Amino acid sequence: MSWLTQWIPTFFAPKYAWLFLLAIPVIIFYFLKLRRTRIAISSLALWQQVINDQRVNAPFQKFKRNMLLFLQLLLLSLLALAAMQPFWRGDSERLTYLPILIDCSASMGAVDAEGTSRLDVAKGEIQSIIDGLLPDQKLTLIAMGSTARRLTEFTDNKTLLTDALKRLEVEQVPSKLTDGLRLAQALSRTQSIETVRLYSDGNLPTRPNPATGELMAEVDFDLPFTLDFFQIDLPGNNIGITALNARRSSPERWDIFIRIEGTASASTEAELVLTSNGEPVGEERVILNAGESQRLVFSVDARTDQALQASLKPVGLDALAADDSAWLNLPKGREIDVYCPTNMKAFRHALESLPGVLVYPRADAVEPANEYDLVISDNKDDIARETPLSIFIGVLPDDLASLISIQDEPAEVVDWERDAQILQHVQLKEVIISEMPVKNEGISDVSIEDLGYSILAHGTQGPLIVSQRVGIGKRYFLLFHTDRSTLPYRVGFPVFIANAINEAMQFASLSDIRAPSTGVLPAQVMNEPGTYRVTTPEGRHEERSTDADGVLKGISAPEVGEYQIRKSGDLVAKIGVSLLNPTESRLETVDTITFNELSVEAEQQTVQQDAPLWTWFAAAGFIVLLFEWWYFQRRPVGVPE
Amino acid sequence: MSTAATQFTSLLPNDVLARAEKMRLNPLRRRTNRMRGEHLSGKGGTSIEFSDYREYVPGDDMRYVDWNIFSRLNHPYLKLYAHEEEMHVAILLDSSSSMEFEGKFELARRVAAALGVMGLMNVERVSVFKCGSTSGELPYLRPCTGRASLKKFFRFLEQTTPGGSVSIDESVDQVLKVHSGKGIAIVLSDFLTLGDVARSFNLLFGAGLEVYALQILGPTEISPELAGYLRFVDSETNATLDVSSVGELLGMYHQHRLGLENYLASQCRKRNGRFLSVSSEDPLKSLLFDQMLRQGWIR
Repeated sequence: MSWLTQWIPTFFAPKYAWLFLLAIPVIIFYFLKLRRTRIAISSLALWQQVINDQRVNAPFQKFKRNMLLFLQLLLLSLLALAAMQPFWRGDSERLTYLPILIDCSASMGAVDAEGTSRLDVAKGEIQSIIDGLLPDQKLTLIAMGSTARRLTEFTDNKTLLTDALKRLEVEQVPSKLTDGLRLAQALSRTQSIETVRLYSDGNLPTRPNPATGELMAEVDFDLPFTLDFFQIDLPGNNIGITALNARRSSPERWDIFIRIEGTASASTEAELVLTSNGEPVGEERVILNAGESQRLVFSVDARTDQALQASLKPVGLDALAADDSAWLNLPKGREIDVYCPTNMKAFRHALESLPGVLVYPRADAVEPANEYDLVISDNKDDIARETPLSIFIGVLPDDLASLISIQDEPAEVVDWERDAQILQHVQLKEVIISEMPVKNEGISDVSIEDLGYSILAHGTQGPLIVSQRVGIGKRYFLLFHTDRSTLPYRVGFPVFIANAINEAMQFASLSDIRAPSTGVLPAQVMNEPGTYRVTTPEGRHEERSTDADGVLKGISAPEVGEYQIRKSGDLVAKIGVSLLNPTESRLETVDTITFNELSVEAEQQTVQQDAPLWTWFAAAGFIVLLFEWWYFQRRPVGVPE
Repeated sequence: MSTAATQFTSLLPNDVLARAEKMRLNPLRRRTNRMRGEHLSGKGGTSIEFSDYREYVPGDDMRYVDWNIFSRLNHPYLKLYAHEEEMHVAILLDSSSSMEFEGKFELARRVAAALGVMGLMNVERVSVFKCGSTSGELPYLRPCTGRASLKKFFRFLEQTTPGGSVSIDESVDQVLKVHSGKGIAIVLSDFLTLGDVARSFNLLFGAGLEVYALQILGPTEISPELAGYLRFVDSETNATLDVSSVGELLGMYHQHRLGLENYLASQCRKRNGRFLSVSSEDPLKSLLFDQMLRQGWIR
């Protein structure tokens, strides 16, 4: 009989059943009020015949005679039932506090052939939950875009929830499931949260499962609650730009690399147009088999500033429009200006042997037009020079002077960060150093790191090489002087210098440049400190101020397109931001999310929510009221005009 | 001089009276008395209006031989004349309490006056019976004829007032006790009776009277606008009838009213009579000179 009980509604507020007692006064008042109006008529003859006829022909005479009472009792019953708040019990467990995580990443904006996006489908399902919200249930909506944010507090206010849901839009960023789960975890500390619902397409970063080889989405998170994963997986083909970067092949030319990827569901086709400063510089037709990608190479002039835009014109259905455009600003190519004192002959010699490098001070005493791209010095006073990258040889920074002392003892390199850009392919193992930086007593590496330094090379008793970030720039400190070591005579020395030049070129955007992707705008070094107005591609404005170093940073960029930075109305910079995310463009989804201790599979079917019925009863009551009014106001049947 | 003072009677305006004087009743059959009157009979009779010739047979009155023809043809022919007979017009005016409503009695009295004038001015024998007022002997105007009786006729009608609880069918019995003579019986009533009018019509027909029934109903009887829970009180008997959801029953009421109308019409037709149902709000002129004229009540 479970099927029967399933169809019997449950009442949320059965206490209001006492309203049925109002039927007693209704009946009493009905009969008390039923005082017939006396009307004198000429003869009862006709009316008597009518009554006799009615008695014969109308079997429900008593019912019809007391139709008004019946309607009143029916109306009262419907109102009482509405007040008792009946509802159909759904499949899902009844929860008091329910956080709903909504994936708003770029892939949720993928549309099907009818133009319905995945987010639209998710919104529809969440709206049905909101509509079926019972009075003791509270929801909070959490959007997961570039970061997780709560759209509403825990509330049962349907208007509030619906408005927040309507305002929710796709952010052109990769999804960050962990942020949303952490936020839900934080909420679970103040509210009793047993279950969290996740509405996502399952487009998450994946890696092959070591056991099966299948792709799996692994999330480093310990679930403190049950996660119900509702997958929104609309079919759709997509082709998009997943990478755009440039490398300077010569001082006059940039090589442009563009990667196009398509979905694994079907083959895709598109036409790529590359423009520079609005003028087309390349065009290519791309046809990809299912799951394939293709890298395209173009070459553009490096002698002038180039504002590149790659536009993809897909043939047929393209589910995601956000990945069809990408932007990249290339600066005018030039030599690297390096300052290196004349007394550092080994460094100058190594630098001058590299192409595209101008070493200062020069014999002709010419100074560079702008600041130096790289400063290599053994003079502590040169720390004050403004440069994005500097390398100080045998210089102990003032803030480290209290932590480290230099002793005249031989030192050797114990270990070093081989991944550090400046030390890539640099062998330090057998370098002989005749002075040794020693950590003072009670000083640990943490103390050094607390001052903002990273230790790149460790000696026996202290750090040998440290780095420090300064604004968007970087400083390296070799705490020993190379003149008192065998480093200049090692093979690693020119490699060290080449690494420094490469990094300086990167800082100056003169070597490898990647197109910025959505999330946060790349930091911008502004000529004038102050407040700037940032206009997003959607036309929204944001006022941001530079920091102490004159850098404008931390500007949210959730939309694909060109952001304009203005100062007093004058355009200062225009930065194009692209999606450039293979996971989002491929629209690949997983139906299982692997957490640290368990895996969560996507629900196979939509959970039937509790369906409140009071609105139906209230509507029926209103209809009965209208019927009652019509019944007693209508023109009698059979009366000739 | 006031308008009332210039009128011959308060029942009829002068123009209606003048026009009624020139009209006459139009019975379907000539149920007349043998007594000579002004009503033309199809049979040969004694009048100045020529009808036909026939050959003389022994025994015929020699006074009716046309001597001019005899002198030319040398053969006696009798000259026949149209027979003029007098007709009884019995006006049965329902004066029961039910006729007090909405001017029904007033209209009935004026119609009676007009039809009576037509009878009197055409030398019919007009009598008026005040029905419905009492179950005993009926007040009535004895048969009278000619212009000289007009005053008496009008006075009787003017003095007649409604009130009483006797139904029209019961009153017919009383009428026939005192009435004699053939002709037409004009019944002016609302016919809202629980009794059987068919029997009454039979009696009238049997007495040699064509039944001319005029049903007069008030506007609220024709189209009642009632709703809710009502207690109807009969004006004649003071009996009550509780009716719920009256609005719901109006359709059925109309069916019964139309059914009664059809029933009365068929009963009259069966007895070579005429039937007309009118509203008490209908104008007298329209009723007399339009409806009744068109339907052959008068000519």
